Amino acid sequence: MIRPEEIKMSTEETGKWGMVIDQDICTGCQACVAACAMENNITFVGEEDAGYGRSMHWIRIERFWEGEYPEVKMTPQQPMLCQQCGHATCEPVCPAFATVHSQAEQLNLQVYNRCVGTRYCANNCPYQVRAFNWRDYQRPEPLPNQFNPDVTVRRMGVMEKCTFCIQRIHKAQDKAKSEGREVMDGEFTTACAQACPANAIVFGRVDNPESLVSQLSHKGHGVKHLEELGTLPNVTYFKGG
Amino acid sequence: MIKKFFDWLKQPLGLIAVGIVFLALFSAATYGIYTTQQTPEQPIDFPHNKHISFGIQCLYCHPGASKGPAAGIPSQAKCWACHNQIVKTRDSALLAPLKDAVMSGESIEWVPVAIVPDFVQFNHRAHVAAGKNCEDCHGDLTKMTIYENPQVFNMGWCLNCHIETAGDDQEKLIKLSDCGTCHY
Amino acid sequence: MSEQFSRRDFLKLAGLGAATTAILTGCGPASRYVKREPYQQMPEYNSVGQSTYYATTCRECAAGCGLVVRTYQGRAIKTEGNASHPLNLGKTCARGQATLQGLYNPDRVTDPNKTGSAMEWDAAIQVVADALKKYKPDEIAFLMGMAPDHLFDLVTDMANATGMNAPIRFGALGMFEARATLSKAAETLFGQAGLPFFDVGGAQVVLSFGANFLETWLSPIPYTRGFTGLREAKTKLRGKFVQFEARMSATGGKADEWVPLRPGTEALVALAIGQIAAEIRGGAMPKAFSSVDLLDVASKSGVKLEALEHLGELVATTNGVLAIPGGPALGQSNGLAVAEAVLALNAFAENIGKPGGVYLSALAPNQTEANRPASAKEMQEFVEKMASGAFKVLFVHGVNPVFELPKSIDFKSAMGSVEQVISFATFPDETSAEADYIFPDHHGLESWGYQRVATGTAQPVLSGAQPVVSPFYNTRATADVLIAAAQLAGGKFAEALPYKDEVEFLQTKVSSLMSESDGSFTAPDAFTFMAYFQQYGGWWKNTDARLSSGTSGILNANISAEEAQFAGEGEFFFVPFVSPTLAEAGANKPWLQELPDPTTTVMWNTWVEINPETAHELGLHNDDMVKVISEVGEVQAYVYLYPAIRPDTIAMPFGQGHTAYGRYAENRGANPANLLGGHFNEAGDLAFAGMRVKIEKISSAVSGVGLSRMESRMGVYGEALGEEH
Repeated sequence: MIRPEEIKMSTEETGKWGMVIDQDICTGCQACVAACAMENNITFVGEEDAGYGRSMHWIRIERFWEGEYPEVKMTPQQPMLCQQCGHATCEPVCPAFATVHSQAEQLNLQVYNRCVGTRYCANNCPYQVRAFNWRDYQRPEPLPNQFNPDVTVRRMGVMEKCTFCIQRIHKAQDKAKSEGREVMDGEFTTACAQACPANAIVFGRVDNPESLVSQLSHKGHGVKHLEELGTLPNVTYFKGG
Repeated sequence: MIKKFFDWLKQPLGLIAVGIVFLALFSAATYGIYTTQQTPEQPIDFPHNKHISFGIQCLYCHPGASKGPAAGIPSQAKCWACHNQIVKTRDSALLAPLKDAVMSGESIEWVPVAIVPDFVQFNHRAHVAAGKNCEDCHGDLTKMTIYENPQVFNMGWCLNCHIETAGDDQEKLIKLSDCGTCHY
Repeated sequence: MSEQFSRRDFLKLAGLGAATTAILTGCGPASRYVKREPYQQMPEYNSVGQSTYYATTCRECAAGCGLVVRTYQGRAIKTEGNASHPLNLGKTCARGQATLQGLYNPDRVTDPNKTGSAMEWDAAIQVVADALKKYKPDEIAFLMGMAPDHLFDLVTDMANATGMNAPIRFGALGMFEARATLSKAAETLFGQAGLPFFDVGGAQVVLSFGANFLETWLSPIPYTRGFTGLREAKTKLRGKFVQFEARMSATGGKADEWVPLRPGTEALVALAIGQIAAEIRGGAMPKAFSSVDLLDVASKSGVKLEALEHLGELVATTNGVLAIPGGPALGQSNGLAVAEAVLALNAFAENIGKPGGVYLSALAPNQTEANRPASAKEMQEFVEKMASGAFKVLFVHGVNPVFELPKSIDFKSAMGSVEQVISFATFPDETSAEADYIFPDHHGLESWGYQRVATGTAQPVLSGAQPVVSPFYNTRATADVLIAAAQLAGGKFAEALPYKDEVEFLQTKVSSLMSESDGSFTAPDAFTFMAYFQQYGGWWKNTDARLSSGTSGILNANISAEEAQFAGEGEFFFVPFVSPTLAEAGANKPWLQELPDPTTTVMWNTWVEINPETAHELGLHNDDMVKVISEVGEVQAYVYLYPAIRPDTIAMPFGQGHTAYGRYAENRGANPANLLGGHFNEAGDLAFAGMRVKIEKISSAVSGVGLSRMESRMGVYGEALGEEH
């Protein structure tokens, strides 16, 4: 339990990997959502379960309405994904230590083999970005041929969420190490950022002041969602407009 | 009814019965676990030791180990490229399944033994690069015919080595004991 | 020791049982041994555990974006954009991402078959050869999709040599984009027909009249990139975007100002804005703008005079105004006038052929007038010819006309008048279900080919496709089937296609570009050239070939200031729009179905958008089932109370309502094409937005039945997410 005076409003970045999302140019086209699903072996749940809010999107695009016709306005689209909090509310409530903080990559991990499916983490996540496998969803043959071998295929009873494409992080780090160098900025990116036709998503090292993502997040007009909860999120939003 | 049953259980005879049932279940469970650790049958009794005795390096047949996550099972074209040229093996009865497979174009279905569950992301390359030799994990194959795991590949075993390797290097220890290094 | 059966005893006993059960069943990974089949013959370019990447072209729409596909152990596992491809610069849309779900779709046509019973490919080729031989050339017709271009070229070659009917191509996207209207209107600016390209990125103010350029319109990736430029360019202020449409599209949702004008008055509003701007700027009033009366426009369009004046002032006083006509605005009886009126604004803003203005798209290599898709009017003529029995054999490839054409153009019954219909469908769609034979083509990712980039780039681009995986099923490339059949048929057919196979045909076509100057690569011989073509994912020039020399003569033209005519009766204007996530052929890909619609967040179904006020008056609620009735038909769908639609308008997405097309598409939602009558504008495009419809309530919403939407997770106004949002 942290007391209000202990809450750090992050004037400087505390994490390692971070993201900047420009809502002003996000068109809500869903390319990131599809790219994420294809990269991370995310299952589709079908119409009925989707209606119960059980769809497994690791990233979703929120859009809200302001006002009423004819002065109605769609607020800038807001891609919402795991904010990879530096002080995550999901972590302390897991009785199985399945959702833990990675010391090495400064990410919130979801360890599938430890998860026992209490769903406490999802209830405690202020961003509502965690998805639970309510069933063993069917992916009839030959659909499983497209599975990414670098990502675990989750089964029923397991919580899952955005990993910042940690498999890509590891792959890039492995490659850089084999070539005896550091990972360069922009050398790789997450599936969502790679697909985004509007270039609204930028991913990189926030602890490197030279990186594009650091420079953008220090531009000043960035917003971190629900920062007042002390979660130290690593995703910065430009509201734009 | 159930009270009577429990009363009976507390009699010496009952206790013996409980003991017998427990032992039966325990041994069945032990046997169950034992069978899972048994090396499965392979389509061909592949003698690793013979191949090694001819001086063939591990990476000749499993080149993926130095390049990426999977070491790989060699294609039958690769097997046959050598065996086809050796008179003794070309028509050997032991290699008939290989010859049949090559001629018919059917795949040989090998059963991988050194495997980890799907939720573990293992990368051979990183381990080879860290100076691990094949035999450090896979045992002395000069003494094996069909491959058998020299130990159970479980997390404790992985982690022991990781912690040992890290030694006093804190940064390395963090990386090597991080959940996200293997599980994602 | 207590004699009672205590709770603790029970727990002990139960615990022992549970532990044993767990040991016996749970722990042992008894089923963990799976069999693995290594390659029989390892491809030499492949390595165990290493991914291989191939450049190819996306076939989900006709835009021609370059893809790089990651393959692993002979399986395609991820598509990414080709970063060096000039059209999409490494980006993809959702449909491009989901193309793998087409490749590995559980409902593909696996074998050549005659109404369901499988046959051999030799017999299949014989059937095609017999059809070519048996009938007179003018009794043979080809109907093709907007992609791929190489097959279209092959059939065109065949038609030219044999006197066969020239192939005709069609796609619902082209119909809803009103390409013919755009092309004809562009003629008045540039003196030649073609697709105009609007440089959104360089503009300062964009006025879009119905153009859904951030969704599926023409080539969404470069337009989205342009939109980023409009908002983010470092050299200028943040650009302003105004959208004029009766129903807020996903594109309109990004607008700074959304102007809900009355359908049919787009031309009036454009001309009125021009008139006001011309007055402010002074000088002679252009003839085109002089015919409208401002007060009249305001009352007819529902756009207030002050709003018109404000927009006119914006146009008069800003440098870099760009006006875009598109979508439902053009699909009306006066669509051509709308396009001309909007293009006249560009002429007034003097942006023709300038950065931030309108160009005529660069012609792709070897692109001719014949490459354009047929307008709906031409399709109607084609179908009438089919019905009259003029065609004895019809070949269909890459298009699903039974589903895509409006109900008034009855393709299905016209098929009955054709003796033999041979479909080359990859998926079991509505058209192939009615065909006599299905000789399935490979999926796009298993195929060779090329696609011309019709619009979106400055330079001419020929996007190259190659197989990234070997065919999964017993399918065969249609080009190979036609080449083999032509050889069997002999005579002129064999002369027209003197190729060994599809690849040789491609090589012949592609190597003709070797002599072109200023290409993206050069090669000493045809084989190397072809290898580079595959490696880079296409060939393009390095020069800007957009036509930038236009005239402003349109300002002195007579542009009709008539309102659009609406067909049918009913209290509502009807706006059908292409689903931004599914488009015309995405319904069979489960992940596209599960993508929330960008505006309504509905997944897996079709809805009818109604203004909440109107719904209240009619006693309609969310998830009520209604019947929409037009002059030609009726469809049923759930009600969705949409806050950003005119009270006198209802809208429906196109993309669902399949009766075939695999398990994920079948019997899901409704098809608004079943409401569309056969009315056309002067350019021959369907007046799909020129209709009035009635609605009837069928049943009230039942708990647990209705639309599945993403917003249920957070509430329509975000109320479930706390104050922050």
